[in-house]
Amino acid sequence: MPRQCNICQTARAIIRRPKTGQRICKECFFYVFETEIHHTIVDNRLFKPGDRIGIGASGGKDSTVLAYVMKTLNERYNYGLELFLLSVDEGISGYRDDSLETVKRNQQQYDLPLKIVSYEQLYGWSMDSIVETVGRKNNCTFCGVFRRQALDRGALMLDLDHIVTGHNADDIAETILMNILRGDIPRLSRCTEIATMGDGYIGRSKPFKYAYEKEIVMYAYLKRLDYFSTECTYSPNAYRGYARQFLKDLEAVRPSAIIDIIYSGEAMKVAENVKLPTMTSCERCGYISSNSICKACVLLEGLERGVPKMGIAKASSKQIEQDAPEVARRGKAVEPVHFEKLREKALNIRKQRMLNAATSSCSKDTALCECTGDSCQ
Amino acid sequence: MCDTSTLDISAAAEAPSRRKAVPGKCIKCKAAKPNVAIRRIQYCRQCFVKASVTKFRMAVGKSRKRVAWPRTKVLIAFSGGPSSSAMLRLAADLQNMELKGTDAMPPFLGAVVGHIDESCLFPSCPESNICAIAANSGIQLETLALEHVFLPTEDHLALLELVQTALAPGAAKEQLCVRLSKPAKDASCAEQLQTLFSNLKSPTDKEDMLQAIKTALLVQLARNSGCGAILLGDSATRTAVKAMALTGRGRGFSLPLEVGAESQWFQDIVAIRPMRDFVAKEIAFFNRWTRQPSAFVPTFTTAEHRRASINRLTEAFIVELDQDFASTVPTVCRTLQKLETRPDALAAAPCLVCGMPAEPDAHTWRTRLTIDSNVPESTPDTSENDTFDITSCLCYSCQTMLRHTAPGAQLPGFCSSRLHAAAAGSSLVSENQDRLRKQIENFIISDSDSDDN
Repeated sequence: MPRQCNICQTARAIIRRPKTGQRICKECFFYVFETEIHHTIVDNRLFKPGDRIGIGASGGKDSTVLAYVMKTLNERYNYGLELFLLSVDEGISGYRDDSLETVKRNQQQYDLPLKIVSYEQLYGWSMDSIVETVGRKNNCTFCGVFRRQALDRGALMLDLDHIVTGHNADDIAETILMNILRGDIPRLSRCTEIATMGDGYIGRSKPFKYAYEKEIVMYAYLKRLDYFSTECTYSPNAYRGYARQFLKDLEAVRPSAIIDIIYSGEAMKVAENVKLPTMTSCERCGYISSNSICKACVLLEGLERGVPKMGIAKASSKQIEQDAPEVARRGKAVEPVHFEKLREKALNIRKQRMLNAATSSCSKDTALCECTGDSCQ
Repeated sequence: MCDTSTLDISAAAEAPSRRKAVPGKCIKCKAAKPNVAIRRIQYCRQCFVKASVTKFRMAVGKSRKRVAWPRTKVLIAFSGGPSSSAMLRLAADLQNMELKGTDAMPPFLGAVVGHIDESCLFPSCPESNICAIAANSGIQLETLALEHVFLPTEDHLALLELVQTALAPGAAKEQLCVRLSKPAKDASCAEQLQTLFSNLKSPTDKEDMLQAIKTALLVQLARNSGCGAILLGDSATRTAVKAMALTGRGRGFSLPLEVGAESQWFQDIVAIRPMRDFVAKEIAFFNRWTRQPSAFVPTFTTAEHRRASINRLTEAFIVELDQDFASTVPTVCRTLQKLETRPDALAAAPCLVCGMPAEPDAHTWRTRLTIDSNVPESTPDTSENDTFDITSCLCYSCQTMLRHTAPGAQLPGFCSSRLHAAAAGSSLVSENQDRLRKQIENFIISDSDSDDN
């Protein structure tokens, strides 16, 4: 005999909800999933009407569902947001090129403007060429550091107010556990924040902070969303693997564990006498940094000078200097555009847009069209 | 007892020349052949025992500096396991040591060993063995049995009983309602305790409840025997496991109080954890070399698979990770030292079940993010009978536990005492007034009402 949905008591239950263990029907699942995201957005006041929001889109399940849900909620609850897809091309052949095809299809399906920024274009190095130099170990550090900046650069090119990323509850819980295990106090206090101000110009937030990974997959599956699912071809982060496995086990013991961990993480308070790094901007590129030169610039310098261990290995800077080859520069890198310049450009786009809006009744702005092309820098 | 200055660990760390190891020799005396390596530092047997004694003494001294408590008697919590056995030995030595100089007086006026008898739940628990170990220390032993929480006292003649609330189909089963009930007449305290545990769903919930009961009983023991401090034997390994497990159970709010070196949450009683710098291996060697016996204390997950409960899983995880990354346990302990209790936690009322701070908005937080009904803001109908909604008096983690608990379960006596205390304080009184107001609502005339209403 088919089971009834625990929520509506009428339709046939087709899934067991990972978060609560309830047996529910498809429509009720969509309702609870979307409403929880809506609560997250409203309770935390993530956006204000008229905001231009970039959705960090990789083509994977999280960002595909994020784009779909953001579009749905924006229409349903009249958030008044302007949505954009923002993708980063790391230059990993056999992985990112395929997933970007998915993003391009999503652009068509959801009818949202798309902007792609590539490592090659921003830094002069693609991940493939970085791995060639660095090897398979530690390359995730480069990718992660560069991606964070790349998203902000892309957002400035489009003059966005805010970037949303598809980090889900599992990611956050895992990060909390990992930061306790590694003793990373600054990150432990930061990782539970749902919205961060970033460099003070573009905010960032994670609307899926409380959404279970399994439910995101379920949502994508039931809505038949088009997403790309393959692991990155380069090695995964080994230490995170331990935390991930532990989290999966915890979830098996008690399904609410993931959200319980986030609750715990939010309640933790770093003692007042613990020194936390203060944020300044990088001398070279103007990006937010806790040191005088940001990690991305240090890593880039290392790449250029042929000492890729710079900024990664624990070796002293003296040792690194000694190991540096005679030829100072390989001449491969592009000098990254200074953030001040990008901000100036963004301001100009904004002015232009306002002007256009004032002069013409047509709401489509020319400044935007100028900037959605792939080759735009 | 030898001169302590030569054993001072932190002083040794500051002076690099004394820290320098002689290859193949003990790090301390630099003469004897080493017998044990703790985190790659090698000690001979004698120096290791001396260093342990000093470490314990310094831990108590440091706690004393951070939290000045009046010189009172101390309750040494003793379960019988390796860590608390080692602590009993160390604390007894500290109390009995010869006094030298002016500041070398024992930190406590006197000591009492406090033990909770768990044989009601674990018949295989070697009670007589544990009592023999305690007696060996020469310190007075005070024991309370777990079932003691069901003894009727003046504070609680009636117990809180979880009730199934009548809700619309599809409505959230979030509210936790209780009513006051008398225990079954012919049931002994032990039977009541066993019934309570059989009503708890998972081993994780049982562990939570057991911990709550043990904490309440230890505090009671300390008060009964006039102690102003409790020594708890959480080792470094245990602290790391506990911290991760507490995080996984949603207890981040009270975490600093539950694993911190010292906590003053229980107002008149300071809880101190002087063993938190000892990893499990150190304790094992200390007990072996000082011939300190210890007992095997069974738990709900003894001989179970690793996914049996959150505590069991976390322990397996930390122990394995510590094998691959040797500094895992000390790193987690250092992380914990940098966390502090939030001011709103210190101001919060104690949870009815665990006695730790109950954060006021825990319930709302969960319901906003875990929707399990399509009936908005449903409230159970409690107007007709004598049930109370106790959700706001429970911490997040105990809400989770009780939601899984079968209706009809009778909670330990201290829960109803705490509810009485809370009601005398504030929140429930106003809630009851609201309820009364609702009943007579139609008869109250307010200024805004129009005449024809």
